[in-house]
Amino acid sequence: MTTQAPVALEVRGLSKHFGGVRAVENCSFTAPEGKVTGLIGPNGAGKSTAIDLISGFKLPDAGTVVFGGEAIEGLPPHRISRLGLIRTFQTPREWPLLTVLENVVLARWDQARETFWRGVLGLQQAQHEATTGELAEGREILEEFGLMALRNERAGNLSGGQKRLVEFARIRMAKPQLVILDEPMGGVNPVLGERMALAIEGFIATGTSVIVVEHNLPFIERVTDHVVVMSQGSVIASGPFASLRSNRAVIDAYLGEMPTYEQPSA
Amino acid sequence: MTQYLVSVLTEGAIFGIMALGLNVIWGWSGDFDLAYYGYVALGAYMTLVLTIGRQPPPTKYILGLTLPYPLAVGLAVASAMALALVIGLIALRHLRGIYFSIVTLGAVYVLYTMAGQFVPLFNGYQGLSGLVNPMADVLGIDFNSYQYFLLGLAIAVFLLVYLFLSRVSSSRFGLALRSLREDERAAAAFGRDIYRLKLKAYVLGAAIGGLGGALFATYVTAFNTSAWAPLETIVLYAAVLVGGRGNIRGVVLGVFIVIVLIEESTRFLPEIPGHPNIVLALRPIVIGLALILFLRFRPQGLLPERRYMDPAQSKAKQEVVT
Amino acid sequence: MHQALLILGFGLVTAAILSLSAVAFTLEYAVTNVANLAHGEILTIGAYAALVVHDRTGSAVAAAVAAALAGGVIALAMHAAVVDRFIRRGTPTLVIFIATLGLSFVIQNVLVIIFGAANVAYTISPGAPFQLGPFLWTPVDIEIIVSALAITAVLFTIISYTKFGKALRAVSQNRELARVSGINANVVASATWFLAGLVAGYAGFILAESIGTFTPSFGFSFFLITLTAAVAGGLGRAFSTMVGAIIVGIALEFFGGYVSPGYNLAFAFGILALVILIRPRGLFVNARRSIFE
Repeated sequence: MTTQAPVALEVRGLSKHFGGVRAVENCSFTAPEGKVTGLIGPNGAGKSTAIDLISGFKLPDAGTVVFGGEAIEGLPPHRISRLGLIRTFQTPREWPLLTVLENVVLARWDQARETFWRGVLGLQQAQHEATTGELAEGREILEEFGLMALRNERAGNLSGGQKRLVEFARIRMAKPQLVILDEPMGGVNPVLGERMALAIEGFIATGTSVIVVEHNLPFIERVTDHVVVMSQGSVIASGPFASLRSNRAVIDAYLGEMPTYEQPSA
Repeated sequence: MTQYLVSVLTEGAIFGIMALGLNVIWGWSGDFDLAYYGYVALGAYMTLVLTIGRQPPPTKYILGLTLPYPLAVGLAVASAMALALVIGLIALRHLRGIYFSIVTLGAVYVLYTMAGQFVPLFNGYQGLSGLVNPMADVLGIDFNSYQYFLLGLAIAVFLLVYLFLSRVSSSRFGLALRSLREDERAAAAFGRDIYRLKLKAYVLGAAIGGLGGALFATYVTAFNTSAWAPLETIVLYAAVLVGGRGNIRGVVLGVFIVIVLIEESTRFLPEIPGHPNIVLALRPIVIGLALILFLRFRPQGLLPERRYMDPAQSKAKQEVVT
Repeated sequence: MHQALLILGFGLVTAAILSLSAVAFTLEYAVTNVANLAHGEILTIGAYAALVVHDRTGSAVAAAVAAALAGGVIALAMHAAVVDRFIRRGTPTLVIFIATLGLSFVIQNVLVIIFGAANVAYTISPGAPFQLGPFLWTPVDIEIIVSALAITAVLFTIISYTKFGKALRAVSQNRELARVSGINANVVASATWFLAGLVAGYAGFILAESIGTFTPSFGFSFFLITLTAAVAGGLGRAFSTMVGAIIVGIALEFFGGYVSPGYNLAFAFGILALVILIRPRGLFVNARRSIFE
């Protein structure tokens, strides 16, 4: 018997119905710790709903989600986030009127400095140091992502690809145990794909496990160690990407051949 | 002439306080609250019933104490906060956008109806009066000089509120609050308890509104339902919007333009015989039009919101990603 | 029992007026996704237009037509000058909502300038009340109820059976999709607002007839009750709105009859708050859903 690899997230029997539509039906999978897990499937497979359920933005009808040893299903999103699970959204959700640096610095929830009186009066030296340290950290991260020149720009003025990078920078700042990326390549110039892949590797290196939902299968092949395939609300297969290409059920779900990875033209 | 100037400045300071409170709820938290003037009114009413003592019937109202003025104002503010807590607990839990606005509009109309119809509360449509020169005897101010005292008081309170809010704005609490306004989902994904934060902002804004109302009652020495129509909130919104939503300097500018300039300019228009209402009605027309035009052409207001400009220079070569 | 039926009778008159106002509001919402806070002013303008015409001609019919036309024109103007411009810029609906509030402010005060702020009265006599079954109605009451039914029937026919009605439904469901299938959404929206304005203007006329006197702000007060009915029925759904209006109208009359008419608005908003908070309508938050759904 092999020892179980540590698990970042475990989903068991998750279900969600909307009226007569079974968006997610008895969905179960695990995401190993310290790895990148892909979540793929044809349109309407229920991937986004599953993410919403896991991260607390929708309430499940049934099932359980285990994260960090706790059952988190049904908790509100901010609680789940504070436990160390952060997600992104299909469209970049920056805070448009705040600057890029402000966006990044705000990624970390700090109870001590965000309560009303302590936050407002802010008299403690520790708080002041925390703020300065935070700003320095924020700048470092922005530099790593090549966004340092834009740090005082209002985030709403950035291009789509830049906004995505700001989102990644925020994740790096927050350093969660697990990040779920919801279609990060959506609407982004494919040239940025490699940069994003590197950012994801950066997450793993700093201790954040990753789940990435994507339609861009070449990208999935590039970044993931383990892939879960959903169709019609449930998981139909899982394993390394290469093994899925010949998986009968997966091919059926995609109605034909799975698109193959192509070398980008030089 | 001086008397006129004193009254304009006093009014300006008082409305400035009210507008600053509204800015917390709408400018920072992003909630289009139509109940706001109710908190102002409650502040006014409570200040009166806590200081004018018992007046002979047929006037009827609750309490009727003669507390020291600062205590009365403090309690008035607290009551505005309590009301805001109740309304906010209900309205902010699940509602956003127009549904939130509609429910708050409903709440303030219930209040307005109660204040007018339920006489034992605040003497119905007649309202309350008799708050004459509070603290004059304690501080030894004679009748003629009182207006200067009141002006000084109003300006002092305004400055205090302004400085306090300036602090809030640059604090992490303020930043987190504004992130709610910008994108709630993202804020929740990064650990912010939306309900709690918005509720805190709502009660804070209402407290400032109540304070403004208390000062207003002091200035006018009376208060009744004709002094506040829930629709008066529009004037405050126009001030906040025109000046620069979310920006406390902008709010000051907006109050100056909307309330001081427009109000005073219409005051000097000649009366047109046969149409006694023109001058009176012109003010809300100009304000309403200003509101619409600014929403259309300059929704961020005249003074855009300040952002944090980071001064440090990076040592590495700065590449720009496109 | 007798008392209750009497009140029911009055309630039906209120319900008739309310249902016309609420349906008009709902049509405006359906086709632009904007809750028009200046809707009450359409009724007010209708009432004043009828007053002016009736003073000149003495004809109640001419007055009614004038009310409807004035309502239609002002609604069209509101849409073209304000609402549509914001929609074309892609402005969020909450901002347009605020703009209509400003519009309401402006219109009410323009009316103050023209007509003065005091109460004005119609010289149309309501006629003597007479017994009709268990109800006590004046001839005007009966006209109100009958005309409301007739207008509702006409609206139903237009919406369900004409080409225009089909386009209206398409635009209200999905503006982009309607556009793509060749419908000129702006023209449909403008025409719908004109139609809604006709109905609302007429509603203002019968409301003023029913109450007897009115001021520039009476439309706004009535609008708050209209809002209750429209939200209770489900914003954007014309026929359930009508049901909601009937229920609210009758409930209001009972409340006024047994408790006190002065608190009508408070009662209406009590209903509104309850509806929004408790009764999920697909538009609102359901107990099983989080706020983000």
